[in-house]
Amino acid sequence: MRFKTLLLLLCLLLPQFALADGPPKKPNYPEGVSSISPGSELWGAVRQRDGVLLDGVSQVRGVDAGILINEQGYRWARFRVSELTLYSAWALAGVLVLIFLIYVIRGKVGIEGGLSGNMVRRFSDYERIVHWVLAIVFLFLALSGLILLLGRPLLIPLFGKEVFSLMASASKEGHNLVGPLFLVSLLMMIFSFVRRNIYEKGDLTWLLKGGGFIGKDHVSGGFFNMGEKTWYWMVILIGLVISVSGLILVMPIFGQGRIIMEIAHVIHVIGALALIVVSIGHMYMGSIGTEGTLEGMKTGYVDINWADAHHDRWGRECHEKDLIVSAEEYARLVGKPSVDEADGRETT
Amino acid sequence: MARMKFYCDAERCIECNACVTACKNEHEIPWGVNRRRVVTIKDGEEGERSLSVACMHCSDAPCATVCPVDCFYTTGDGIVLHDKDICIGCGYCFYACPFGAPQFPEEAAFASRGKMDKCTFCAGGPEEDHSSDETRKYGRNRLAEGKLPLCAEMCSTKALLSGDADVISDIYRKRVINRGASAFNWGVNFNNSKISG
Amino acid sequence: MIANLIDGPLWYFSLAVFSLGVLWQLVSIIFASRKPDLSVARGAAGPAALKTVFSRFLPHREIRPQVGIQYIAGYLFHLGLFALLFFAAPHVVFLEENLLGFGWTTMPHWAFIVSAQAAFFGLIILWLRRMVNPVSRLISTTDDHVAAILTFVVMLTGCLALLEGFEALRLLHRFTVELWLIYFPFSALMHTFTFIPSRAFTGAWFGRRGVDA
Repeated sequence: MRFKTLLLLLCLLLPQFALADGPPKKPNYPEGVSSISPGSELWGAVRQRDGVLLDGVSQVRGVDAGILINEQGYRWARFRVSELTLYSAWALAGVLVLIFLIYVIRGKVGIEGGLSGNMVRRFSDYERIVHWVLAIVFLFLALSGLILLLGRPLLIPLFGKEVFSLMASASKEGHNLVGPLFLVSLLMMIFSFVRRNIYEKGDLTWLLKGGGFIGKDHVSGGFFNMGEKTWYWMVILIGLVISVSGLILVMPIFGQGRIIMEIAHVIHVIGALALIVVSIGHMYMGSIGTEGTLEGMKTGYVDINWADAHHDRWGRECHEKDLIVSAEEYARLVGKPSVDEADGRETT
Repeated sequence: MARMKFYCDAERCIECNACVTACKNEHEIPWGVNRRRVVTIKDGEEGERSLSVACMHCSDAPCATVCPVDCFYTTGDGIVLHDKDICIGCGYCFYACPFGAPQFPEEAAFASRGKMDKCTFCAGGPEEDHSSDETRKYGRNRLAEGKLPLCAEMCSTKALLSGDADVISDIYRKRVINRGASAFNWGVNFNNSKISG
Repeated sequence: MIANLIDGPLWYFSLAVFSLGVLWQLVSIIFASRKPDLSVARGAAGPAALKTVFSRFLPHREIRPQVGIQYIAGYLFHLGLFALLFFAAPHVVFLEENLLGFGWTTMPHWAFIVSAQAAFFGLIILWLRRMVNPVSRLISTTDDHVAAILTFVVMLTGCLALLEGFEALRLLHRFTVELWLIYFPFSALMHTFTFIPSRAFTGAWFGRRGVDA
C-alpha cells in the first residue's frame, strides 16, 4: 500500500527532471568593453536564454518551422534514454522480484475451512466481458509499449538491428491502432463498476489492518475491499491520463508543437509504467495469490466461504437475501456436467 | 579526417531560399518534406535576421541518442546519417532535434509518419555510393564525387558555408575582421544590427 | 524462397481452394434434395423468402431489449471488416494489381484505421462473449474458436504491417490470409454466404406453411 503511494508520488515528481534546469545566468560584460557584439544578443535570444520563445517566420509551412532552436528536445532525449529506461527496467524487475518473494514467503492466501462448493453470483456476463476486453487490450499495449521503451538496450543485442526494427515497427503500428480501444474499454469499465468502488466506512480500517495480508486476522470488507477500490481508481484516473496523452501523441494534426508532444510522451510513459507495475500485483492476487478469486472473473460465481472470508459485508447480504447456489445448481448454470450424488448418473 | 559542418552567416543571408530550392530539386524530394528551411527572426522589424537551417550534423546528435531502433550513424567526416530500412517512423528524432531537421512524408491522424528524411550533407546513405537504391532513398551523393553540398554552393550571397569546420571558421573569422575594419562601414554592422534598437 | 511461395503458388492455391470450395458448398446446399411439400399453400414462398433475408438483420421486436452487446459488437465487427477489406487503400491497390485489374475510390487513411479499430474491438468482444456466456461456451465447437481466432490473427498481422516498409511483416499478413482462405470453405466462416439461403429457406417455409384462417 505504502509502496504504491510512494511510486505514485515518485511518478508525479519525475517529469520535472526532463524539463527543469532553467536558463543559465547572463554573462557579465567586463569593464571597458565599448561595443557589445550584437551577435551575442541575437544568439542569446535565439537560444532562449531568458526563457522567452523566439518565433520566427519561414516560407516552409510546418509545425515548429519558425522555431530555430528547441532546447527542450535535447533534455527530453537524454531523459528518455537514460533515466526513463533505467528506472522503468528497475521498477519492472523490482515488482517481479517482490511478487516472487511474496509468493515464496506468504504463499497462496487460503480460506479458513476451505471451499464449500456452494457458490454465489458475483459478476454478470457483461461485467466479465468488460474486464477481459480491457485486460486483453491493456496487455497488448503494455507489451508493445515496453518493446518500444526497452528494446534498444535489451533487444537489439539479442536480435540485431534488422529483426528488432521489424519488431519495433510492428509494436508501434499495433500500439497506435489499439490505443484508442483502451479508452473505449476504460469508459465501459467506468460505468460498470463505479458504484461499487466508492470508498465507504470500513475501508480505512481495512487499510490500517493491512488487508489481513499478514497473519490470520480476519478483516472486514464490502463487495470490493479498499485495495481493489484503490486499484480501480488507479486504472481509471491514470488510464484516462494515459489515454488523453496518447491521443495527443497519435494525432499530430492539431499543430501541437514538439514541447507539448514531449510532455505528453513523458506523462504517457510514466503513467503506463505505474499501471503495468501495479497490474502485475493485480494479476498475481487475482490468480495464484488468492484461492477462489479467479473463478469470480472466469465463471461469474464465487464460493460463499470465499465471500465470507474476504468480503464479509457482501457475504452477509448474500446469506440474508438467500442468493447462495448449491454445487449441483452451479454446475448446471455454468454448463458443467455434474454427477448426481444419489444414483451416480451424469446429468447436465 | 575532416569534420564537416554548415555555417550560415546571419549578416549575409537575404532569405532568397535558393538553398531550399536547390536541395529539393537535386534530391527530388517529395512535397511536404523540406530538408532545409530559411527562418527569419524579427521579420519586418529592425534587426531582422535570416538563417538557413537544416541538419547541423551534431557531434553528439540527440536524434541518434533517442532513436528507439538505433538507425543513426556518424561517418568518418562527422556527417550524421540514418538507415531508412531500419527507421520505423516514430518521430522521436523530430522531437529531440533542436533544429527540427527530421522530416516525414505523411501527417494525418493515426498515420504512420513514413520513413524519416533529412539533410544528408549530400552524402547519400548506407547503400552503395551512386547506386539507384541510394539515389532513390537518400538523394544524390555529391560528397562521393568530391563535391560539397549543393545548398551552400548555390547560396547567392555565400551566407551558407559548408565543408571542413576549420576552413569554414577561418572564412568567417576573416569576414568578421573585415566587417569591423572597413573604413566606410565602421560601426554600421555593429550598431544597426543590435536586436533591440 | 518462402517469399516466392507465399507470393506465388500458395496464393493461387488458396484462391482456388476458396473459390471452388465456396462454390461447391453453396451448390450442395442450394441443390440439396427436399421432400415435396404436399400441404396447401397459405401464402407465397418467394416474397417471404426475400423479406426474411433482410428482416433478420434486426432481432425480433420482442427480444430486442435483451440482445445488447452481441448485436452492437457484431455490427461493429462486420461493418468494420467490410470497410477495411474492400475500401482500405492497400487492399484496393492489391486487388487491382493482383486480381481484378481495376480499382475504386478508397477511404482516407484515418477512416481505414477507425474501421480496423471497430473490427478489432467487435471481434474481441464477440469472442469473449462466446467464452463468457455459459450457453455459448457450451455449444461452441473448436471450429467456432478457430474461425474467430484465425480472423483475428489476419487482422492483427495486417495491423502490424501498416508502415508497409518491412517485407517479412507483409509476407506474414499475406500468409495468414492464405491460410484463412483455405480454411474458409470448410468452416463456420461459410456463414458469409450461407446466411442468404438459410434465411431465404426459413422465410419461404414459414411464408408458405400455415392455416389460412
